[in-house]
Amino acid sequence: MGIANRKELEARRKALHKANENVKTHVRVCSGTGCAALGAFEVYDALVKESKKAGLPVQVELEPCGKEKDPLFVSLTGCQGFCQIGPLVHILPDDILYTGVKVSAVKDIVEKTLAGGQVVEKLLYKNPEDKKRLKGRADIPFYKGQELVALEGCGSVAADSLDSYVASGGFSSLAKALKMDPDQVISEVEKSGLRGRGGGGFPTGRKWRSCVSAEGDERFVICNGDEGDPGAFMDCCIMEGDPYRVIEGMIICAHAVGSSTGFIYVRHEYPRAVERLSLAVKTCEENGLLGKKILGSDLDFDISVARGGGAFVCGESTALMRSIEGSVGEPRAKYVRSVQRGFRDKPTVLNNVETFACVPSIINEGSDWFTSRGTEKSPGTKAFCLVGKVVNTGLIEVPMGTSLRDVVFGMGGGIIDGRPFKAVQTGGPSGGCLGEDHLDLPVDFDALAKAGSMMGSGGMIVMDDRTCMVDVAKYFLKFLMEESCGKCVPCREGVYQLHAMLDKLSRGEGEPQDLEKIQRLGKEIQVSSLCGLGKSAPNPVLSTLKNFREEYEAHVNDKRCPAGVCRDITTFTIDPDKCTGCLVCKKACPPDAISGEKKQVHIIDQDKCTQCGACRLVCKFDAVVTN
Amino acid sequence: MQKTFVVIPRNCTGCRTCELACSMIKGTEGVFARSRINIYKVGDERYMQMTCLQCVEAACVKVCPTEALVRNELTGAIEVDEERCVGCGLCEPACPFGHMHFELNEGVPVKCDLCGGDPTCVKFCPHGALEMK
Amino acid sequence: MYIYIDGKKISAKDGESILEVANRNEIYIPTLCHHEALDDVGACRVCMVEITHKDWGGWRNLVTACLYPVEEGLVISTSSEAVRRSRGTTLDLLMARCPTSDVIRWMAEENGEISVRYEQIDDGSKCIMCSLCVRACERMGCNAIGTVGRGHDKKIAPPFFENPENCIGCGACAAICPTGHIEVNDTRTTREIWDKKFNFVACEGCGEPVLTEEYRDYAIANRDLPADYYTTCSACKKKKLASHFDKVGS
Ligand SMILES: Cc1cc2nc3c(=O)[nH]c(=O)nc-3n(C[C@H](O)[C@H](O)[C@H](O)COP(=O)(O)O)c2cc1C
Ligand code: SF4
Ligand code: FES
Ligand code: FES
Repeated sequence: MGIANRKELEARRKALHKANENVKTHVRVCSGTGCAALGAFEVYDALVKESKKAGLPVQVELEPCGKEKDPLFVSLTGCQGFCQIGPLVHILPDDILYTGVKVSAVKDIVEKTLAGGQVVEKLLYKNPEDKKRLKGRADIPFYKGQELVALEGCGSVAADSLDSYVASGGFSSLAKALKMDPDQVISEVEKSGLRGRGGGGFPTGRKWRSCVSAEGDERFVICNGDEGDPGAFMDCCIMEGDPYRVIEGMIICAHAVGSSTGFIYVRHEYPRAVERLSLAVKTCEENGLLGKKILGSDLDFDISVARGGGAFVCGESTALMRSIEGSVGEPRAKYVRSVQRGFRDKPTVLNNVETFACVPSIINEGSDWFTSRGTEKSPGTKAFCLVGKVVNTGLIEVPMGTSLRDVVFGMGGGIIDGRPFKAVQTGGPSGGCLGEDHLDLPVDFDALAKAGSMMGSGGMIVMDDRTCMVDVAKYFLKFLMEESCGKCVPCREGVYQLHAMLDKLSRGEGEPQDLEKIQRLGKEIQVSSLCGLGKSAPNPVLSTLKNFREEYEAHVNDKRCPAGVCRDITTFTIDPDKCTGCLVCKKACPPDAISGEKKQVHIIDQDKCTQCGACRLVCKFDAVVTN
Repeated sequence: MQKTFVVIPRNCTGCRTCELACSMIKGTEGVFARSRINIYKVGDERYMQMTCLQCVEAACVKVCPTEALVRNELTGAIEVDEERCVGCGLCEPACPFGHMHFELNEGVPVKCDLCGGDPTCVKFCPHGALEMK
Repeated sequence: MYIYIDGKKISAKDGESILEVANRNEIYIPTLCHHEALDDVGACRVCMVEITHKDWGGWRNLVTACLYPVEEGLVISTSSEAVRRSRGTTLDLLMARCPTSDVIRWMAEENGEISVRYEQIDDGSKCIMCSLCVRACERMGCNAIGTVGRGHDKKIAPPFFENPENCIGCGACAAICPTGHIEVNDTRTTREIWDKKFNFVACEGCGEPVLTEEYRDYAIANRDLPADYYTTCSACKKKKLASHFDKVGS
């Protein structure tokens, strides 16, 4: 049963709607990576089983299920965002969000909610602020202020079902695009101002147009799903949760630039994304949405799913293309752009997963719709992975221009344990850290860059006052030092030396001229390196040095780590005024360095102390202090 | 007309002035280089001057992977383009006459290049046993 | 087309790199990973030059001369302040990496005074990862060595650090290495390189080494010459030819 043309697509959609018009309740079980790890699949199975046992008219596919009244549709979706408190079960139309659902809780859900129409209070989200239970997404601060474009289907459509995507309006954008002239499609994308979500923020429409004007008998469309940034998982969520949207975006691009071959390059560590995408590609082929004469047009387009080479640098455009070609994934130094000579030296469009995922909505709703959100130079929305010392962590999508404060203290719910906010790191390993004075910065490509950080692919790591900026910079440099392709000298040797100097600082062996030296070396690495990795590798240290210079100076001049992180120059002591003698730290100390009786002030034996900081972490009274 | 390098063995006394001249001119900073011409004793008082024949279909040119051996159209000599040589050294065993010399630590082969058309050995031979005709 | 290098107007052809044009005009630009017969990779970054153009509104940029294709009116500086700083840093970093390499030291001195010094990594390695050896090996068609690993620990080695199966012992890698990093141990009868041992073909006349057996087999298979070319050393070949000439002459 293929979809040969636009008419058949619409017919299919109508049939699906008709078949489901009397579906009254929709249960969406999140099967994103986070929830899956916490047992979402088991919960799903139990839900289906229990519901059947309870005699409910369960339906798991978008197909008519007999004549029963009010069927119950249970589906597995992609990531619903709030992974931290998964597995999530979202029940519509009542907007009930059950969190931390265990198999043992399923019976309750079936009996009370699905059969009985009541809410199971104890499964609702508890707002940490006032301990109140909040019923649905509409009430939960984490979801407030979010606006889903790229993540629209992620968490709502059934991830492995073409029908589910079609029923939600999928491929109507492709149908529309195929009616348009390729040039019109590009113009629309240009007008939307869409900028690449993979890091660089290059205008997507302009990229497509230069590909069209490049000479070549063959053109390629590649989707970058390498997502190498540690802590970032939005592309993963999209590929797993809404694979058809990415494919639709790519087909539209193929039509616009005149390509017949596409690749999706998926990070090595994402087996489920590979699986879901491969299945989606196969389903599209079987249904005539990929292959020859797509939707009855003249467009022929095929997609292959390629597995990544496993290195961070493979996400860099030239390295990625070489990797698909079958060589070692190393960046290639050529002063020609890959839209002119990319994959197999042919004009190639390479875009990020999220970029492609934005395209269907832009074509469907029009560029004005897209530009009506976001900022002037960075229209639209952006997905972020909010992690670190915030209360709420997970996947969010907000309009560009949303302030860091709104993200961290709004959706993020502030800092864990109410500690002071110190910095937020954006842009992945080669991004930068912004402090308190940047909290009101509207998050968009240019504002972040101007502040010395970058958008990157959308990682956002929140840090509290117990994070040492020297340590943070050192951590990222170590990552980059190991992940550098090792080809060019400034990146391979320079980042190593930067790391060595930071290590010196953290051991308290820094000299006054070191800061100057770090800054100079960082700048030279930026201008001299071969690829984007090296050109941005000094960012973590340069941005922290700029925004948190006093902290560096404390390491150098006072041989002191204000955050109490750098072990060699930190001593932990107990403030006798604050200590209540609760014994908690004593029990937590691995080397048994703490002595003291109940209700008496505890003391740390400095000879035994290994500066692990466990005591400070557990002390509820902030009695453990550092120098 | 291109001139040809000619040896006149019957004039050769085996004095080896040619070898010395070659070593000196091809050497650098006072260090003598390997001579591109060698004198072989072939009998009583009979000597043969041996150097590259600049073959028309040269084996060395044929085996070179990087086209580092190129004929100088003006002099007719096959010259080593040191910048293009990768040092595989195959030209040495490939020469059927033994006129290519390659040492790993030198990295590039040495051979007679006719000194750009005016061979030093010819100028120095005291007995008229070498000529450019 | 015309370009300007250090203020001199110079004619250039489409498709040439800045380095090619400079070399042709005997303008010195230091290089470490460039080789005339091999594809450029832009790894060493010492050939950095600064470019600008009258139409670029004052914008200037550092690019590698070996890879940057010339364009009409390009204005190039081979030793501006920015170039010297970039090159100096690169060489400085290399000196820290291979303190024992003379080539690097010499080039650094040439570039100007050495101002900053970095932590020296004295592991005895002289390798600067220019990959000339790998590219030479590739050119020979052997692909016996490559880069292994990534990041700061990247090394030149045979696959899996094992005896390179494809290695024929030609020694081109050692010959081309600018720093002398690759070890070759030759005796009269054997050669050892990359931990692989080779037997030399002994000259039929005097027993002196001619080339490794594997190299001979490679030559017979890949070059269009009779097999008996590879059985005799140059000295014996010459000797034989000399007496042959003598006979023919008299
Ligand atoms: C070291 C390095 C790693 C990169 N990793 C990724 C990645 O994981 N995913 C990605 O989409 N882009 C990555 N990029 C950016 C890509 O090179 C490229 O700019 C991007 O995929 C283009 O798509 P866009 O225009 O849609 O953003 C990386 C760049 C560099 C320099
Ligand atoms: S071994 Fe020598 S030729 Fe090979 S990469 Fe290292 S320095 Fe270059
Ligand atoms: S995986 Fe379920 S909310 Fe992200
Ligand atoms: S010679 Fe140009 S980068 Fe090495």
